[in-house]
Amino acid sequence: MRDWEEGRKDREESQKRLLESLSMSISNLGRGWKIYRRSLLAMLGLLMVLSVSMVAIFADEIAVQHPYRNLTDTEDKWSNNPDQQESPPFSEECSLREQKITTNPSSPLFSETVVAESVNKVSGSIAYGYYTDVLSITEIIKIENDRGYDQDISLITIDPDNSSLFVLSPDLYGNSSHYTGVWVTYLYENEDMSHWWLPEGYDTCIFGTNKEGHDVFSKVVYGARVSLTIGITVATLTVTIGTIVGSISGYYGGRIDEVIMRICDVFFAIPGLILAMAFVAAMRSVSSLTFPVWLGILLPVLMLAYFLNSHLSTTVLSGDERVSDQAMGMLMGNRSLLVGLLAFLFFVGWLPAFAWPDFFGVSHSRGWRLISSLVVIVLLVGIILADRRFVQKNSLDGALTRIGSSFDWTNPWRYLNFRTVVVFLSMAILFKLSGNEGPEIVLIKDFDKLWQVQFALIFTGWPGYARLIRGQVLYVKEMAFVEAAKSVGAPPSRIMFRHILPNAWAPLLVAFTLDIGGTILSASGLSFLGLGAAPYTAEWGLMISESRVAFQRAPHMMLYPGLAIAVTVLGFNLLGDGIRDVVDPKNRR
Amino acid sequence: MRLHEFVVRRVLLLIPVMIGVAVFTFAVAQIIPGDPAALQCGDKCGLIVGYDDDGKPITAHQANRERLRLDDPVSLQFERYITDLINGDWGESQKNGRPVIDIIKTSAPVTLEMAFFSLMIAYPLGIFLGIISAVRQDRMFDHVSRFFAIAFVSLPIFWFAMLLQLYFATGPQVGGICDPIFGTEGGCFPIFDRHDQSYTYPLDGYHSLYPESGTGFHLIDSWFVTDAKLAELPSEFDTNRELFMDTLIHLVLPCSALGIASSGSLLRYMRASLLEVLHEDYVRTARAKGLSEFRVVVVHACRNAMVPIVTILGFSIGGAIGGAVLTESVFGIHGMGTVAVLGILQLEYQIVMGVTLLTSVIFLLSNLIVDIAYAIVDPRVRLE
Amino acid sequence: MSEGPLIEIRGMRKWFPIKQGMMSSVRSYVRAVDGVDLEINRGETLGVVGESGCGKTTLGRVLMGLIPITEGSVIYSGSDIREIPNKEIRRKMQIVFQDPGGSMNPRISVRSIVGEPLQVNGICEGVELTRKVEELLESVGLKAEHMTRYPHEFSGGQKQRIALARALSLDPEFILLDEPTSALDVSVQAQVLNLLEKIQKERGLTFVFISHDLAVVRHISDRIAVMYLGKVVELADSDEIYRNPLHAYTKALISAIPSPDPDARSDQPPVEGDVPSPVDPPPGCAFGHRLHHPDWEKSTKMDLSLREVSPGHWVQPCPCCTDENDESRDAPHEQVADGNASEDVPDWARGE
Repeated sequence: MRDWEEGRKDREESQKRLLESLSMSISNLGRGWKIYRRSLLAMLGLLMVLSVSMVAIFADEIAVQHPYRNLTDTEDKWSNNPDQQESPPFSEECSLREQKITTNPSSPLFSETVVAESVNKVSGSIAYGYYTDVLSITEIIKIENDRGYDQDISLITIDPDNSSLFVLSPDLYGNSSHYTGVWVTYLYENEDMSHWWLPEGYDTCIFGTNKEGHDVFSKVVYGARVSLTIGITVATLTVTIGTIVGSISGYYGGRIDEVIMRICDVFFAIPGLILAMAFVAAMRSVSSLTFPVWLGILLPVLMLAYFLNSHLSTTVLSGDERVSDQAMGMLMGNRSLLVGLLAFLFFVGWLPAFAWPDFFGVSHSRGWRLISSLVVIVLLVGIILADRRFVQKNSLDGALTRIGSSFDWTNPWRYLNFRTVVVFLSMAILFKLSGNEGPEIVLIKDFDKLWQVQFALIFTGWPGYARLIRGQVLYVKEMAFVEAAKSVGAPPSRIMFRHILPNAWAPLLVAFTLDIGGTILSASGLSFLGLGAAPYTAEWGLMISESRVAFQRAPHMMLYPGLAIAVTVLGFNLLGDGIRDVVDPKNRR
Repeated sequence: MRLHEFVVRRVLLLIPVMIGVAVFTFAVAQIIPGDPAALQCGDKCGLIVGYDDDGKPITAHQANRERLRLDDPVSLQFERYITDLINGDWGESQKNGRPVIDIIKTSAPVTLEMAFFSLMIAYPLGIFLGIISAVRQDRMFDHVSRFFAIAFVSLPIFWFAMLLQLYFATGPQVGGICDPIFGTEGGCFPIFDRHDQSYTYPLDGYHSLYPESGTGFHLIDSWFVTDAKLAELPSEFDTNRELFMDTLIHLVLPCSALGIASSGSLLRYMRASLLEVLHEDYVRTARAKGLSEFRVVVVHACRNAMVPIVTILGFSIGGAIGGAVLTESVFGIHGMGTVAVLGILQLEYQIVMGVTLLTSVIFLLSNLIVDIAYAIVDPRVRLE
Repeated sequence: MSEGPLIEIRGMRKWFPIKQGMMSSVRSYVRAVDGVDLEINRGETLGVVGESGCGKTTLGRVLMGLIPITEGSVIYSGSDIREIPNKEIRRKMQIVFQDPGGSMNPRISVRSIVGEPLQVNGICEGVELTRKVEELLESVGLKAEHMTRYPHEFSGGQKQRIALARALSLDPEFILLDEPTSALDVSVQAQVLNLLEKIQKERGLTFVFISHDLAVVRHISDRIAVMYLGKVVELADSDEIYRNPLHAYTKALISAIPSPDPDARSDQPPVEGDVPSPVDPPPGCAFGHRLHHPDWEKSTKMDLSLREVSPGHWVQPCPCCTDENDESRDAPHEQVADGNASEDVPDWARGE
């Protein structure tokens, strides 16, 4: 091991390289921005996307009504507000309240002065219970007794000192004709639904209220959160799955490619929305997304083994064969058979107590699971090393020192690469999952309807990306530099990650951006059909659907959510078009 | 490759995809929650309907399971499913026992009619605007039409349909724009359904509207409706011409919604394709020959620019069917989309399977036809 | 190290299958390389010429082991390259590609491009790598500070130098030059050729130089193999082949070299017709078939493997295209062919 000072030169070198590549990517970005800003529409799109994102991030500050959140799921619950139903934007109806006042002097609730109170409201979570606001009355409109007859307005007056107090005249509670109580309808200062950033007179109830009396504006604002979450989650996961499948298909070709492409054909043969509907139907009974512990551990273990393998292949050098290794070579020659047999017994579970699922079930302690994962990794690496040594006839001389040198901490910069990140990530996941109680790992505890929609759209969307990436990979694969990399002995993983994918991602970025918009459209369509978000969620498609019963009478209930969808999707489409111009090789100088 | 070889190959390639779709629908039906046997007997599942050989009682639920053969192994069920499909037995609705193929027979033509007319709107509109946009590249018209094209792609189609209803449909509170423009009173196009309200809810009970042997396409059926049948119908229409017009006018709003929304992407395609062609040498040659700009664009450039547009026709049909699901829902039309949504909401998996299967068949066939037509026009395609 | 040739190609065939539809099992093949025997001696430069589509590039790829061989074998200093671990071949045999721009990933810097072979083979990293790349760049006539730039910032000739530096980085014994100059201007071509010669002398490298340009090949090569439709039709020292071409195709190639003297018209009529399709090559002498030579029929019945007409000068003994007018063409031919066959197998091979 070298000491810190000895590694100085290496450190400086790596630092220099990092800075170089950083400045390169910054200058690339700058060049892209120069092309991007030439287009007015693209700038408009960027502005739209940024503002919708801002609205989504600061929804709590912008909205005036807030849902209470059930912390176990993703759905917002909105409380009913019976006062202000279907009131058009900027109308007085928003500030109209009907309150019952007890007029029976013998009732314990009776008092000569009554506070004007709002309906029950829910704070942040239902767990905190309800509260009411004190309202400031501006005008009393009418008074009805509980049989529905209008009474003289002068029976109740507003306290001149305190505008939120009703003063009952003795005529009211002395009169037995309204024995139990009266309903008073009045206008109040609607502080709750007014926005500080709007001028006086135009600041209240700006998008109107809906059938349940929710402020449409607030719901639209919270809808931005829901829609963006759906759009980004789905697009990211679809891109990931599509890229993995597509690059496997394109890189390896042959039988695998054929099978994957036929599966994609099946997906393409069914119109997107119908396919998504079928998936939603199929996921009806899924209530939580879990997977067994052994699977959760298997994935990072395989990941670690894969990266160790590719690391070993660069450290293990070729050398001359010794005769004494012949026998071992013979043995390892049939290793695929051996390993296949073991793996079969192991995973299918034909070796009781040693089968993989049971193996990690023996003890639930983290230590046991970690040590046994380590044993599995060491076994896999052993097989790989034996393969290198005896089948590919490489020499292992000096391999240990080379492996040791990769733990050389005198140059921390060199750990800033993809492989190390994945290795650390896998180790973190392994550590996290091994501490799991019980045999199942819960990924999504409450697999609600929004999740169902998201997964339906992911399942529907990946073949498009797979095909796109496959085409790109096939195109780049034929380029001379890939052959050049092969001719110097670069392993497939390096060719894929360093040579093919960096040159293939440009159309992917465009498709990703456009797909966020497309996903928002599809998700709102599904919600509109009643297959998406649960009732009363702040989801734009659902809001339009809920407005259908009265949209002729109160069109504001559908106009604003629709506009919100249109603006968001338009923003992403314009952004995608702008990015297309940037990555288009025709525009590169 | 000769043409007939190409056709045979294309058809053969369809077979694995069709099998894949069948596997997919079957898998979805297996996963959909809910016991079809229990669904069928409802609250009478506990009823004892008979006794088996050992004298144990058989409940209605068990009898249903037996009848639907749900206890068979999955492989056997799949085999039966495929044979049934080929024999034209697509299962039956579990609520009312109506064969799925019947349900689809009445609903599919409705959707197809809508998809067809919306494409009839989308294609001319998109191509015409696309040509103008390409010819006047980077002028005001181009910018505006491109913005609207991308805006129409971004519109949620159900919302757009509702806007059309709001501003053009007949009704007491709607039809706002229509009256001043067309001089009508109370809107100009019917807001709802596929034909006059009195047919849907006739006073004397449920009526089968069109001849039993009808095609299911309302336009065709209304045109060929017999006088005798017409007399039976509870309506004020005396001739089949009036009935036809009524059916046609009901298509205007849904098809415009669908058509205008999909014309946006066609405009973009046409513009890109024509711009590419306009830079080709033969167009320059045509200009150099002194042909008028109109002739250059329409005769020389457009014909070649249209070829890729025609190839996306197959995909447009798929898109139109998907869009039709949403539009049908808005306009209350009983097409395949409505049927599928109801099927999912009521866990009628046979119906969901049937609709999925049929839409994919339609989509694949239309793509096949487009491909073959393309191969006839452009022999290079056959070489692939 | 054993004496004898560095690389020996024996009966190399590379047929690419053409798939016709999913269902059809009947396949046809593109016979890109169809039976080639060659020896490449240590330290020499072997030029391979032929028009485009004659299979010379495929020959190179198979020789390098980049694509699997269909039939025959490539022996690298005594052992079949299929037996040698991939890593080892890559360290001993390197390639310079035709298109200097396309053979470099546009997204990585010259340092990474030149250093990639060193990195993937685990030879050096960090400062060591930078130093090594510096050295390599200087040895091909570039400056050390070019290291941080990207491929698109260089001219064609510079790119080819970078490609050469990459090929040299593993210190190989053999470099395949696949039309390294055909994408370059004539003036730059000369520079690159001179650089190649200099480096060969310094490092004692063995080159195979593939080109369609006979003039360039003559300049750099010690021996020249002329390829036509997947077969070698003539093989001789470069001066010999120039002075005394025997095969009609070689003559056609030489006469196609533009001459600076306008009066020195070639008496050779221009060759008509196209190269026949390698999918369905004509039997016998392919070039005779193309010329509609009256004697072509005869060639279909003969063994057309190369034979040595004078020391070191091998030619396809076909009646239509080969001019050597020895009277004993028919009678002793079989004998010669036999002799050929036995000569083809080297001593060490026979011993096994």
